Amino acid sequence: MKLVLFAAACLVVFATAASAETLAVDLTPDPRNPTSPQMGDNLAFHTVIRNTGAQAVDGVIAWISLVQIDKGKEQPIDLEDWSAHKAVTAASLPPGQTLATDWPMRLIQAGNYRVVVSAVSRDGTRLVASPFADFTVRQKPVVESQRVLPVALGVPLLLAGAMLLRGRKR
Amino acid sequence: MSPALLIARKEAGELLLSQRGLAWLMAMTAALSGFALLLVSNTELSLLDNAQVVYDMVGIVGALGALLAIVVGIDSTGGERERGSLVPLLLVPASREAILLGKIGGIAIAWAVMHGLALPYLWAVGSTGQNMVQGAIILALLGTPAVLGFGFLGIVLGVRLASARSGLLAGLIVLLLSASPLLLGPGLRQSAIGRAFDAVNPFSSLVNAADAAIIDSQAIVAQWDHILVAYLWLALTLWLARAGFRRIVQ
Amino acid sequence: MLVHIHSLQLSRGGVRILHDVHLSLAAGEIYGLLGPNGAGKSTTVAAALGLLVPDAGEVCLFERMPVPGDAAIYARLGVLAEQNGFYDWMTAEGYLGFFARLYRRRLATVEVRDRLARVGLGPRPGQRIGTFSRGMRQRLGLARALIADPALLILDEPTNGLDPRGRREIHDVLIELAGRGVGILLCTHLLDDVDRLCHRIGVIVEGRTVAESAIAELVRTTGHMARFRLRLSGGLPEVRPADCRITLLACEGEWCLVELDPSLAPENAWRELMFLGWHVTEICREGGGLEDLYLSVTERRAA
Repeated sequence: MKLVLFAAACLVVFATAASAETLAVDLTPDPRNPTSPQMGDNLAFHTVIRNTGAQAVDGVIAWISLVQIDKGKEQPIDLEDWSAHKAVTAASLPPGQTLATDWPMRLIQAGNYRVVVSAVSRDGTRLVASPFADFTVRQKPVVESQRVLPVALGVPLLLAGAMLLRGRKR
Repeated sequence: MSPALLIARKEAGELLLSQRGLAWLMAMTAALSGFALLLVSNTELSLLDNAQVVYDMVGIVGALGALLAIVVGIDSTGGERERGSLVPLLLVPASREAILLGKIGGIAIAWAVMHGLALPYLWAVGSTGQNMVQGAIILALLGTPAVLGFGFLGIVLGVRLASARSGLLAGLIVLLLSASPLLLGPGLRQSAIGRAFDAVNPFSSLVNAADAAIIDSQAIVAQWDHILVAYLWLALTLWLARAGFRRIVQ
Repeated sequence: MLVHIHSLQLSRGGVRILHDVHLSLAAGEIYGLLGPNGAGKSTTVAAALGLLVPDAGEVCLFERMPVPGDAAIYARLGVLAEQNGFYDWMTAEGYLGFFARLYRRRLATVEVRDRLARVGLGPRPGQRIGTFSRGMRQRLGLARALIADPALLILDEPTNGLDPRGRREIHDVLIELAGRGVGILLCTHLLDDVDRLCHRIGVIVEGRTVAESAIAELVRTTGHMARFRLRLSGGLPEVRPADCRITLLACEGEWCLVELDPSLAPENAWRELMFLGWHVTEICREGGGLEDLYLSVTERRAA
């Protein structure tokens, strides 16, 4: 009886461990991504989550994470404005089956970034992460002084000129 | 030319051809210039920051426009009454409706000028960022009824209160109350009272719609509820202005 | 009747301002509306214009009750109100042109300048109103009141701020207008203007009309005699006037004080005295004029 119980417990542990560890996640940038993206550009990443085990994996959740890796500015990035697509789920992933997902992203701020997709399952005990994909976003001048200065100085000057003309006419 | 058009042209002249009116416009554009110049030295703004700038600019133009409209509205009735130029106007062979329409036309022209002056600023700070066009559309679509509504409210205050100064004080208090959502921030507006106030406040409609369209890139059509509030405000204040102006006396 | 007001009662802010006001003005007549400050003159005018709604009584302009925005009445009416404000940024020409168009009159520049010249503003068509003196503003206000060639003019202190020559010019304009059939309702404190211009006067005291008639008639009915000081060369003759309407009150040196019955015109009295051998070299009115009449009428009411 004890042996049976022990064997059953080992099976459960083994099955649980196998659930998480039988998931494999890969991450590839879309080949159409610009080679030197700048602020405002759109990037896309593709993920394939594969069940490499012999049993189905239930309750799969995969999500994308983005961090800034500039020296002195290391920080996680809130994807609120970068991407509306932040996670994908699957009720069950049969053995050998894959779950493919695209992750579109709009580049909001300049800097060096690292993106990774992580996955867990309901019964799993470990996180499965994809390889990293690093990219650099170039700064794009969003407020161009050549535009702002003429307007900010020119409009009041025009009005001042109009006031002067009216004053002279009087 | 109809009496309404003649009077509207006269009201526009007060703004555009008088030293006082030009000084008003000068003050407005100085505020916009100050805001725009603050951004010039900052070269590391993100797109989100830029969207915030466009959103802030829309809010500021709306607020300044409302201020100008309420001042013009009060001056066109209470101010004229104090200066003694209202009675000769009331005694021309034109209906009160026509005279009121002329004064409304003056407020509309004032907003059109203000709006026109603001568009270059919007282009200057937002053209390389996101959702500048949406910002300009929101300003026209929601800013106009919100601002004109304050102008009509100014007419009512100028008619009903004993002096133009009292009217101005009351108008500025109403304007400040309406703009309070901007000051309080979204967190403090989550109470039942805050949400109810947001639901009927034209200023809240303008800034909430601007937030959704400029920062969150939502469709303008999806802001139909905010648009409805703004136009209901316009209708209510127009009705009040008509009712008040009919009873304007010496 | 151009204006007919009968038993007018009116309250403002819960306070009864007018209790019983009567007024009637015919075409070609200049009617002077007099009264102490706060008597209700301006309120009466506002009611006549349809700007205030009476509590009771009858108010008719051009034989119909005026209502706010009554285009038919206002098209025939010219008004110079007590508070006379303008658009300081406009020129006189622009201002008059603006009101001409509101009155549906298409006046050429030459015509506008003619109208300005008529009130003494001829040299200043392009001057901004903000630089005008008080008298110039009054003239411009009058030009505006006349812009539509009205059948009825209502003027509140029209000669306020004008120099004596300016007042005389305005008087001449008003007399000419009355001669052409324009009815003029004149509110003023300047009794000289009333004396010179008005055919009839009405006096309002504490919201009631206390007197309304021609000046001579009023003098007669109130028993108000006219007094004159006469300077005689050669001293006082022994022959006294037989006409009982001439009363010698006092004599001192070469001056005599005489009182005339209102029914006797002064010039007839002087003629009679001359026939009697009185050598009158100077005649001065000694009270008993319109001012005394006004004061006595208003004091009587106040008492």
